Order: sequence, then structure tokens, then C-alpha cells
Amino acid sequence: MNFGFGAWLFAISMGASALGGALGMASGIFIVPILIMFGGVGIHVAVAASLVSVIACSCASSAPFLRNGLTNIRVAIVLETATTLGALTGVLLAGVLPVSLLFLLFAVVLLLSAQQMMARRSEPEAALDEAGAKSWATALRLHSSYPDRMLGREVPYLVRRVPLGLTLMYGAGLISALLGIGSGVLKIPAMDTALRLPIKVSSATSNFMIGVTAAASAAAYFARGDIDPTIAGPVALGSVVGAVLGARMLMVMSGEKLRIVFVVVLVALAAQMLLSAFGVHLGGHAS
Amino acid sequence: MTVNVVRQPALERLLAYVLHSGTWLATGIIALGLALPLFGLRGVGLAMTGEEIVTAGIAFFILLPVLRVMLMLVMFVREGDYRFGAVATLVLAIIVLGAALGVRTAGVLPG
Repeated sequence: MNFGFGAWLFAISMGASALGGALGMASGIFIVPILIMFGGVGIHVAVAASLVSVIACSCASSAPFLRNGLTNIRVAIVLETATTLGALTGVLLAGVLPVSLLFLLFAVVLLLSAQQMMARRSEPEAALDEAGAKSWATALRLHSSYPDRMLGREVPYLVRRVPLGLTLMYGAGLISALLGIGSGVLKIPAMDTALRLPIKVSSATSNFMIGVTAAASAAAYFARGDIDPTIAGPVALGSVVGAVLGARMLMVMSGEKLRIVFVVVLVALAAQMLLSAFGVHLGGHAS
Repeated sequence: MTVNVVRQPALERLLAYVLHSGTWLATGIIALGLALPLFGLRGVGLAMTGEEIVTAGIAFFILLPVLRVMLMLVMFVREGDYRFGAVATLVLAIIVLGAALGVRTAGVLPG
């Protein structure tokens, strides 16, 4: 094992995860392009390593959300049937799709994330009165409540349009397995617009689900021998340390400035991925 | 409000505990495996090299979310919620299927 390269992997993963954590984004979206462009790592190895770090970050950050009663575990397990199935499809497609198409897809996801970061997430309108008695959510008893510190009481909420949520989640699982990311890009619209979960519940539940989704694809990649421990090890370790630091940084840094830095980085990475998709390489030693 | 609101605080606390301690255990295993070569050590005890220890830590991380689905399955069934028991079983089955497919296609993917 090359110590210098291992230390570099640890450092960039820690940085990506700390910054990502401070804005509630998974670090995979930064780690994969950096590994490919600056580390000279092949896209399939980068994706597999990143998935391990996605699991690590999800597990590390799930506990506080669960203890605070924000995670809807019933919604999570129902949607996980769709995300894991999507992940399975992604693993199968990863071997078939041309690498340039993966680069292109990654560029699109980066740009969508940048756009999502610019737009404010607003609290979906709660519609407590129109609870469809025949809806999937009612049949599956998904409606729940969460404690709101500001109001000092339990806030009940209803879950809407489960079939649409499942469909979007299938796509999220597929993208996650193909690109090695948590795919918040698809999960956030699914949670906010389809299911209409309150933002806090949506973030906590999405974070909880990412671990199982990534485990489904990572298990397949692991069994296939695609996970290189000399790369995935330092990346996972750096990500956990970064996630812990990111949660602390959240308290001291201005969210607004960080947001702008992020958008710039996302667009720059997207441009680089687009160039790679069309076979142009600037600097680095992308392969 | 006419709809039943469902909360399962005991299960939530159990899952939090398992995920929290599991994360630190897996992180510790990976850190140990990465640190060994720094001290010029080839491995510990039964000829496990640093790299093999790192691989074990990674495997543990991948199994951690699977373990939490298993816990949910047990808790749902214990509460007599067989419908959710079936949902959890389906998730587990999909993960196992993925791993099985991975074994079968081993070595097919370049890079």
C-alpha cells in the first residue's frame, strides 16, 4: 500500500465529507469525480469505493436523527424495496453502459445538484384534512408525527402519493449504484413533492435509507471483487472523520457563503466530467 | 385528525444504538488495518495482513445496514406486523440477490 496515496485519499475524503455534511449533501458526489480526475482511478473502482463511504456516512449520521424521533422507519423500509431494486438494476447496467455515458450522466447529476442548491427548499404544504382513507400510506400505516423543538410539541403529518414516491426512489437507487452517490438529487424531490414529508423528517429518512441502498450495490460490487481496499479503506475512514467534523462546522460557518462555494465547485466538476465524456482531458491523468 | 399516527420509539433507539456502535467498530477495524504498515508491522496474530483487515472493516460496513433491516424484520414480526415483516424480508432478499449476482459476474467488469 502506497502511504502517500492513502494519506491523500484520506484527506480529500475528509474534506469532501466535512463540506458535504455541513450542507447536508452526501460526499460521493465530490469524491467520485476527484478520484477519477486527480487520482487516476478508474470510474468503476471510484464508484465502488465511494459507495462504501456513502454507507459509512449514512450509518454515522443516522443515530442522532433516530434518537430525536425524526426518522420515519416505516416509510424508509417501504421505499427501500424500490431503492434496492433500483440499485440492483444499476449494478447490472454499470457493466454494460459505456464509460462516456456514465461521465455524461454524472455531469447532469452535478448540474442538477447545483440547481437544487440554489433553489430554496420550502416546507411542503401539509394537508391534514384530506387523508385518503384508501391511500397506500393509510393502508400501510405510514402517517406519523415528529417532535418540534420550536413548538414544543409533536407535529403529526400525513404521507402522500406512495406509488409516485416508489417510482422516483427506484430511479434514485439506480443512479446511486451507477455513480456511487447518495443521490439526494432524486430523493429530495421524491420526499418533498411526492410524499410531502416535513423537511426534517424527509432529511432524516432519506439519510437513513441511503445506507441500505448503497449496501445493496456495494454488496454486489464487493462480491464481484470490484472494491479495492487500498482505495475504499482510506476513503471510508476519511469520510467518517469528515462527517463528524462537518456536523461541528455547521455551527460556526455561514451557510450562505458555503452554498455559493458549493455551487461553483459543482459546476466546475460538471464541466470537467462533460469534457471527459467527450474524451477531452485537461491536466490530471484521467483514464 | 382521524388517521392513526404510528411511532416506534423503542425500535428507533435500538437502531440508533446499533448503527452508532457499528460505525465506530467498522471505522476502528479499517483504521487498525491502515495503521499497521505505518509501524512496519505485516499483520496481527493469524497472519492477517493490514489489507485483509481493511477488507474485513469494509465488509462490516456493508453488512451494518443489512443488520439493521434484519433487526427491523425481527421487531415487526414480534409486534405481529406481518405485512411489514414481509416488506423487510423483500428488502433483504433483493440485497442477497444482488450479492449472488455479483459473485456470478465476478471478473467480468474491466477496471
